[in-house]
Amino acid sequence: MILAVLFANSEGNILVERFNGVPAEERLHWRSFLVKLGADNLKGVKNEELLVASHKSVYIVYTVLGDVSIFVVGKDEYDELALAEVIFAITSAVKDACGKIPTERLFLDKYGKICLCLDEIVWKGLLENTEKDRIRRLVRLKPPNEF
Amino acid sequence: MAQPLVKKDDDRDDEAEYSPFLGIEKGAVLQEARVFNDPQLDPRRCSQVITKLLYLLNQGETFTKIEATEVFFAVTKLFQSRDIGLRRMVYLMIKELSPSADEVIIVTSSLMKDMTSKTDMYRANAIRVLCRITDGTLLTQIERYLKQAIVDKNPVVASAALVSGIHLLETTPEIVKRWSNEVQEAVQSRAALVQFHALALLHQIRQNDRLAVSKLVTSLTRGTVRSPLAQCLLIRYTTQVIREAATTQTGDRPFYDFLESCLRHKAEMVIFEAARAITELNGVTNRELTPAITVLQLFLSSSKPVLRFAAVRTLNKVAMTHPMAVTNCNIDMESLISDQNRSIATLAITTLLKTGNESSVDRLMKQITNFMSDIADEFKIVVVEAIRSLCLKFPLKYRSLMNFLSNILREEGGFEYKKAIVDSIVILIRDIPDAKENGLLHLCEFIEDCEFTYLSTQILHFLGTEGPKTSDPSKYIRYIYNRVHLENATVRAAAVSTLAKFGAMVDALKPRVFVLLRRCLYDGDDEVRDRATLYLNTVGSDGEVIETDKVVKDFLFGSLDIPLANIETSLKNYEPAEQPFDINSVPKEVKTQPLAEKKAPGKKPAGLGAPPSGPPSTVDAYEKLLSSIPEFSDFGKLFKSSAPVELTEAETEYAVNVVKHIFDRHVVFQYNCTNTIPEQLLENVTVIVDASEAEEFAEVASKPLRSLPYDSPGQIFGAFEKPEGVPAVGKFSNMLRFIVKEVDPTTGDVEDDGVEDEYQLEDLEVVAADYVMKVGVSNFRNAWESIGPDFERVDEYGLGPRESLAEAVSAVISLLGMQPCEGTEVVANNSRSHTCLLSGVFIGNVKVLVRLQFGIDGPKEVAMKLAVRSEDDNVSDMIHEIVASG
Repeated sequence: MILAVLFANSEGNILVERFNGVPAEERLHWRSFLVKLGADNLKGVKNEELLVASHKSVYIVYTVLGDVSIFVVGKDEYDELALAEVIFAITSAVKDACGKIPTERLFLDKYGKICLCLDEIVWKGLLENTEKDRIRRLVRLKPPNEF
Repeated sequence: MAQPLVKKDDDRDDEAEYSPFLGIEKGAVLQEARVFNDPQLDPRRCSQVITKLLYLLNQGETFTKIEATEVFFAVTKLFQSRDIGLRRMVYLMIKELSPSADEVIIVTSSLMKDMTSKTDMYRANAIRVLCRITDGTLLTQIERYLKQAIVDKNPVVASAALVSGIHLLETTPEIVKRWSNEVQEAVQSRAALVQFHALALLHQIRQNDRLAVSKLVTSLTRGTVRSPLAQCLLIRYTTQVIREAATTQTGDRPFYDFLESCLRHKAEMVIFEAARAITELNGVTNRELTPAITVLQLFLSSSKPVLRFAAVRTLNKVAMTHPMAVTNCNIDMESLISDQNRSIATLAITTLLKTGNESSVDRLMKQITNFMSDIADEFKIVVVEAIRSLCLKFPLKYRSLMNFLSNILREEGGFEYKKAIVDSIVILIRDIPDAKENGLLHLCEFIEDCEFTYLSTQILHFLGTEGPKTSDPSKYIRYIYNRVHLENATVRAAAVSTLAKFGAMVDALKPRVFVLLRRCLYDGDDEVRDRATLYLNTVGSDGEVIETDKVVKDFLFGSLDIPLANIETSLKNYEPAEQPFDINSVPKEVKTQPLAEKKAPGKKPAGLGAPPSGPPSTVDAYEKLLSSIPEFSDFGKLFKSSAPVELTEAETEYAVNVVKHIFDRHVVFQYNCTNTIPEQLLENVTVIVDASEAEEFAEVASKPLRSLPYDSPGQIFGAFEKPEGVPAVGKFSNMLRFIVKEVDPTTGDVEDDGVEDEYQLEDLEVVAADYVMKVGVSNFRNAWESIGPDFERVDEYGLGPRESLAEAVSAVISLLGMQPCEGTEVVANNSRSHTCLLSGVFIGNVKVLVRLQFGIDGPKEVAMKLAVRSEDDNVSDMIHEIVASG
């Protein structure tokens, strides 16, 4: 299960948070935990360089893309390698939606499109699509190329 | 550190000003959502408003029921628009709002229309939305379309239906299971993702059917799997098949060749999955491990942190069971100590600590010293624990390891970290005699500048126990007495006790210790003064060089073999009276968890795990209850009360469980009965006990229940006499007999006439474990030595084929009913042997200690060596009899 996908800006404010199977009372804890993890480790990290951590039996893969930090949390079959796949799909879709590495402003401008991309990538905690071209077509309700 | 105030530069101001969501407010956005009702829809505007709503929801904002309903109804109007972009947004918005059952009906017709649309993408999205918001009844209506969609030519439609199936399996499994033919077909799909989703769903549908899973794995391992993701799933299912097959087959491991071939796959994900699967095989051999370790070693030097992390994490696990297999990777692992990602560095260090040999310890410690300064406390604790086990493994290296621990003890750190270091030093002092004096001095220096009261008092207590036994006890006195001047009252009181211990144990020091204790009589704190007074008056001889009386020593410093929780409750229950509080009346048994879970089946703890609440105090309650019944008043002191044993299935008309109370010459059964039928009142309720299969027991008293109304539990008692001090066993069959009277649940009126009826209960057994009380010891080795080998009995037993070593260990523990010590009830994964330490008190107040050594061989045959020490040879023999007859 992919427990959470979270986007924050460089000051640690949440831009997007989507939880699956995490009780409401634990969400705040996760949010602050992830933001702190980012603040401690993401300084000076190159765009899209993946960082990884584990907390109890849960894995976290996170990275930075322009002004935006991205965190993906998973457990069981979604271990660090599966999450790396998820976050790769997310970063390439975000870059594709924004046309370049996003600033916070650009990210917010393309907010609706990014939400649609996320909807195609993660559905209720399961990975659904991974390729950016396919995702780009799907959010426009176009069938994928290979079809 | 406070950040200096920075003036925001102009660019940033501009950016903030133009943020599309600046100053966004829920109320305003909800107003804006009225555009959805316009007769002339503006798709662009509507999309913008939906984006704003999504932004609010993603920020954790919630809508009230009324707001959500209004937005939902407005959004459904947007189905009129033919704009594709807007339609995609509408699908997402409906999913986010997750409408309630009575609202769903509004959109189902639109969605069903889309689901049968000629536009593929409408179909795919409509399926996803419908499956998200649907319930069972609607699902049966659309099942036909979903089955078609699974085998749809368009992979997006097929995937949408398959992933929906995975989600629906949780809520309506009986419907989804009917789709297995279509899913089976989809597994053969040429589209990579469809195959992946189909494989996941098919496995979930058939996961309880071993044969089907095995067939699925066999066919796919021979066929083609198109995506790395599906290949990873296949590897996982294969290991499942291997695990289950291994219990029945011997010789060559099935499917190992498949796993090994996956190590040469082009996708890293697959290589890694296969390597991990191999390392986790039950009883994996070195020959099987080698190729997996080789690929993991390559990953250690990968440029991708995720791969390095995954590899080092797996190797760390392997090092626990097969340290020698990992030694080849040591050089690569050493270079990871300087890895930027601290999680990777910590894993590398702890792996190295497990695999390193004696000669590499010093070099390793040097590297770790540099590394410790820049990691967080949680990682440091892991390292400290690894160093502790390394030191126990190579006791000759204690000097450098102890020095390392004392150095890090002086540096900055939080409580948990410092506690881990102190605990480690204490364990090393206990287990490595040569390390004692050195370690005690390190601890003394630490308390000179320790900010944690808890740690100071623990160390002072430990110093009091170990310090007097050293060659020169006087050198510790200065550190201890300094505490009396410099610390808070809690630490001062602990220091006074420690000083007194030195005085009592080392006769030569007594006069000087007395001088110091007398100074404490003027302390500002009551407790400190009281302790000083107590010790000055009891340690005795007015401070002359004379040995302190053994009785006094035992009274003041002897170990308290009563659980503190029990003594606390007993003291709270004690009411001031003429009779003084009797410490012998405190129950000695460690309280066990009552059978509470059985009442709430299927309730799992949510989320990442909240701690379970502590057990209520039952022992004292039982004692009070029994002593209030005149028939049982002359049975003497209650030895032990068992946990409740259920005598009825869950959710039957009458719920009955029984608690066995063991006395020296008697056993009392307490039947706790609950009537769960509102229309009935039970009267004259008794339990008819047939003790024909319990020859040594004779019924002496019973106490029926006059009435048992609905949902208000009552107790029935039965008492049996048995030979004194003998652990008599037997089986009792039970029948509940009562008079039923009808009750009108609305008025509560009871009919006058009743009918006699009976209700069969399950049998009840008194077993040998009922005569052993769970009483733990703080240091098993000391306790074992102090009991001595006089009444030691050792024998070996074959336990036959067992599922696992852990299962065998827990079976023996529950057979003996004793308290596992020092966490030895936990068996490490894959281990071939295990030692378990148990302690308890046998009826008649005889201390018993048990050392169990288990070994398991290939076909799961478990052998056990049982060594018992007790204060009575009969008891040692009896423990062997329990095992031999169990």
